[in-house]
Amino acid sequence: MRLLQVSLRSLLLYSLILVLISIPISIFSIRQIINEEVDESLALHTNQFIKHIKSYEYLEDLEMDLRIWDQLSYNITLIPSEIISAGQMYETVSMYDSIEQEFHPFRTLSSVIIIKDKPYLLTIKMSLVDNDELVMALGIVQVILIVLLAAGLLLLNRSLSRKLWKPFYNTLNQLKAYELDKSESIQPEKTNIIEFDDLNKTVSHLTDRNRKLYLEQKEFIENASHELQTPLSIFQSKLDNLMQIPGLTEAGAVTILDLEETAQRMARLNKNLLLLSKIDNDQFNEIEEIDLSALANKLLSNLKPMADIDDISIQASISPLSIKANSTLLEVLLTNLFHNAIRHTNANGKVNVNVTDKVLTVTNTGNPLKMSVEKMFKRFSKEGNGENSSGLGLAIVKKVCDTCRYKIAYNFQDGVHSFSVTF
Amino acid sequence: MKILIIEDEKQLVKSMAQFLRQESYVCEVAYTASEANEKILLFDYDCILLDISLPDGNGLKILEKLRENHKADGVIMITAKGSFDDRIAGLNLGADDYLPKPFYLPELSARISAVIRRKRFDGNNKISFHEIEVDLLGKTVSVSGKGIELTRKEYDLLIFLIANKNRVVSKNAIAEHLSGDDAELMDKFDFIYSHIKNLKKKLTESGCEDYIKTIYGLGYKFTA
Repeated sequence: MRLLQVSLRSLLLYSLILVLISIPISIFSIRQIINEEVDESLALHTNQFIKHIKSYEYLEDLEMDLRIWDQLSYNITLIPSEIISAGQMYETVSMYDSIEQEFHPFRTLSSVIIIKDKPYLLTIKMSLVDNDELVMALGIVQVILIVLLAAGLLLLNRSLSRKLWKPFYNTLNQLKAYELDKSESIQPEKTNIIEFDDLNKTVSHLTDRNRKLYLEQKEFIENASHELQTPLSIFQSKLDNLMQIPGLTEAGAVTILDLEETAQRMARLNKNLLLLSKIDNDQFNEIEEIDLSALANKLLSNLKPMADIDDISIQASISPLSIKANSTLLEVLLTNLFHNAIRHTNANGKVNVNVTDKVLTVTNTGNPLKMSVEKMFKRFSKEGNGENSSGLGLAIVKKVCDTCRYKIAYNFQDGVHSFSVTF
Repeated sequence: MKILIIEDEKQLVKSMAQFLRQESYVCEVAYTASEANEKILLFDYDCILLDISLPDGNGLKILEKLRENHKADGVIMITAKGSFDDRIAGLNLGADDYLPKPFYLPELSARISAVIRRKRFDGNNKISFHEIEVDLLGKTVSVSGKGIELTRKEYDLLIFLIANKNRVVSKNAIAEHLSGDDAELMDKFDFIYSHIKNLKKKLTESGCEDYIKTIYGLGYKFTA
């Protein structure tokens, strides 16, 4: 649910409750006000009436007159009363209205007055607004109010979410598309809204900082690899000199060879790390037309002697293919794929290289993977304990494929590992 | 023959000089670019080993200076950067070879002798060791004047061993020299062993003395 819908929902609910509560309250208060007004005028009328009637001293035959009076006057009745005590009483009664032919609420004021020592009951009535009508009128007004309110809020909400939230969605989309290793910094839209500007500032700051850290780390790896080359050279050169010492014993010679192999392993690791960070840094960006089939054939023929040691047969069916690529990267890709295949083939196994229709497939017989496919492409994930393997070969393959936008797929079936790269 | 080592890492210079002096090279050393600039103008060297990243300047500038002064010294660039651009720039400025760190000293030694030969003999390129004679231009080998057939790898191996004569060369150095990056695939050294065995056989069969000595499990030594 969108944020605006949440707030809209609350707003709508609140207004609905408010309107519903306001209906009885307004009916009650309107009624109250009307009653007070009516009571006031009833009291006024009664007073005037009493004043007038008292001034007519000569009224002899009041009883007779009253009967006529009663028929003439609609709102005032004056009838002889048994109750002597003087007093006034307001009440609301429903009476039949002969003109409109229906019941109507009336407000009455009954007062006992003494005329010529005889008590009379004076009742003055006034018509009130019909309760039902009042409720109806108020209800209609409030329903219209609710409809207008809801429609207005919905419309406002829609245009607000379009206009007001545009910078927010803009920033969000940029964040979604953001890739630490590729994208430049995020360029947020300038708004006049404090929260958005604040958000944008924070996002820019965060991404810039991350990018800076990332670049620093990348640079560190590259520098570290560079700096290691010299001590490695010194180490190797000392070993080369150590070998020349006359009277070297066999045990000494074996130790030197072990040291040399270790030094070599370090050198390879270092070289591959350097290669990875160079690919990361886009240092291989010169593109040229390369005859992939010729390159593959050349590399495979160089590898044949190595494969022969373990009686691994290499079969190649390579149809002509030229692609635009960086020559170093392409060579790195093929070399690592071929090395990987030969390295993980058991003795007397088979390596098959196939190039057709922009797809290079390298298959080799071997044991099933012990690790997950995803892990296989990660740095330093090694299958078994091949001492000569740096654990970086397939990570480099993946990196090259990602950089050049080639698609790499792996599957294992019937004891055959298969890597295919679609150019 | 005189060699100038331009390199700021004293330990590395020490090892390089120690190794090369066995080959009866005369080694001089410049630890900084300014030292190097002085030396290249005053003396002629058969080969200059030039580290590109020096504390007081880029080695490529030294290369430029050499060419400006029409010096014909052979130059091998040595660098830890291994950057493709540096390599192209260096070779364009007239460097003869390029060796990325870390390297094997026998490899360096082989490169130096190749550069010196190229500078010295201008085409008529022959090296010999007792009864063995190698024609580098025709890529042919003869023993006591009689030609023998060697495969490409055996030929490369022989040149490498002769360039490092009287010195122990490890199996790793040979493997790296013969197959470059592919060397890392070799868990065993059967590959080297079979090449050495074949070369030995071909040489001794044509009446050559067996100069290739095995040094325990470490490597080989080409010596009379």
